[in-house]
Amino acid sequence: MKRGMLHAWMRTLIVQASWNYDRMVGVGVAYAMEPLLRDLPGGPSNGRYRAALRRVAGFFNAHPYLTGMAAGALARAEHDGVPEAQADRLRHALIGPLGSVGDQLIWAAWLPLSAAVGLIVAVTWSVPAGAVTFLVLYNVVHLALRTWGLSVGWRAGMGVAGALGSRVLHAGLRVGAMAASFAIGLALPLVSSWLMRQFGAGERLSAGGVAALGLVLTRILVPRVSGVKLGLVLVLTALAVGALWR
Amino acid sequence: MIGALPWLLLWGTIAGLDLATVGQVMVGRPMVSGIVAGILAGDPAAGALVGITLELFALDLLPVGGARYPDYGPAAVAGAATAAGAPGLLGLGPAIAVALVVGYVGEVTVQMVRRMNSTDVQRRRAELDAGDPAGIRRVQWRGIARDTIRALAVTLAGLALAVAVRRWLPLSLRGAVLVATVAVGAAVAVAVTGALRLGGRGPARAWLVAGIVGGIVWVALQ
Repeated sequence: MKRGMLHAWMRTLIVQASWNYDRMVGVGVAYAMEPLLRDLPGGPSNGRYRAALRRVAGFFNAHPYLTGMAAGALARAEHDGVPEAQADRLRHALIGPLGSVGDQLIWAAWLPLSAAVGLIVAVTWSVPAGAVTFLVLYNVVHLALRTWGLSVGWRAGMGVAGALGSRVLHAGLRVGAMAASFAIGLALPLVSSWLMRQFGAGERLSAGGVAALGLVLTRILVPRVSGVKLGLVLVLTALAVGALWR
Repeated sequence: MIGALPWLLLWGTIAGLDLATVGQVMVGRPMVSGIVAGILAGDPAAGALVGITLELFALDLLPVGGARYPDYGPAAVAGAATAAGAPGLLGLGPAIAVALVVGYVGEVTVQMVRRMNSTDVQRRRAELDAGDPAGIRRVQWRGIARDTIRALAVTLAGLALAVAVRRWLPLSLRGAVLVATVAVGAAVAVAVTGALRLGGRGPARAWLVAGIVGGIVWVALQ
């Protein structure tokens, strides 16, 4: 394993610490990549070391779990002596795909899928087991993706785009959203029934009515309202009525 | 519950940091943070109930890049602290109300921290544009410090709200049942909305419907 790889991997865990609207995750990626540049010929006093950090600390955006792939590939490009302009083109070219693949694979598939499986285990077997199932399931893929991204980025360097065509990745993208949708669909009646298990028939019917009203509001009347705002309006109204109801 | 407040504060801060800044290993998801908070507050069942209800709210949004999303980690901690010790479902409604307020405040404070990070980056532009590793490290660690303070403050405010609601909210039995009913209904509505958004209009929508049918059959067989 290349020296500095473990350091770089650990730094990817805090890659979003300085997330900002100017450079997004650029400073974080430069911070993660830095240990991989220390053994450039001439070391940190070499102009190439600083030039590489300067470029990467500019604007950059990607899914946080795949930022290691960019850090590895860009560090490798520096070690291979790739011209500055070419390395910069690679950096720009990675922004779209690393964001889109990560968002589709993790935020739109693996996170909801793991959460749904955790919820199903929690309400059908044991609540703590559900939380543990969710954490283990989610993080096996999360940590593997971070590790794979960094190592494949370092190995492939300028050819890193080819790694995004990996069969496993594509299979994940193809079936991920469908599997997540199915799991969430399965979880919804189970969790609803679990939450309403202490309700009488009247409360169940009322909760169903509130859910239907909420759906009409979010799907038709005010489709841009976020879940937290809808919840706040409904629950705080109920709280005000409930406080007056003696 | 009062004795558990320092631990709840620590746990809420960790959960808030996990939202994006450190790790993102999802200990800040309400299902996890609520259950742990319930154990810390001495009422695991209340923590589970609050955590699972809030998990339905959390299914609404995907934490994509610069999107705005509520901070449900400290929210679940404050919610569990509100519900701890209340019999059955009676604490659920006020707990979800507190949690949603805290979640929304968390969302606003995340934007504030991002803007402060932007200011810091602009202020240290010379160091960053020189590729100075010490400057890059400073920006990164100041970001962590800022988010730690944010998560701590949000959790502290949430716990203060929880204590106030437990002490002063005048809720009759019927009122408490009403609020719990609305909270569960709203959570289901938000989760279904999120699921429909996730399913889009393609084949995933058909899988969502198949899942719902399977879930209904499973409930019927239980």
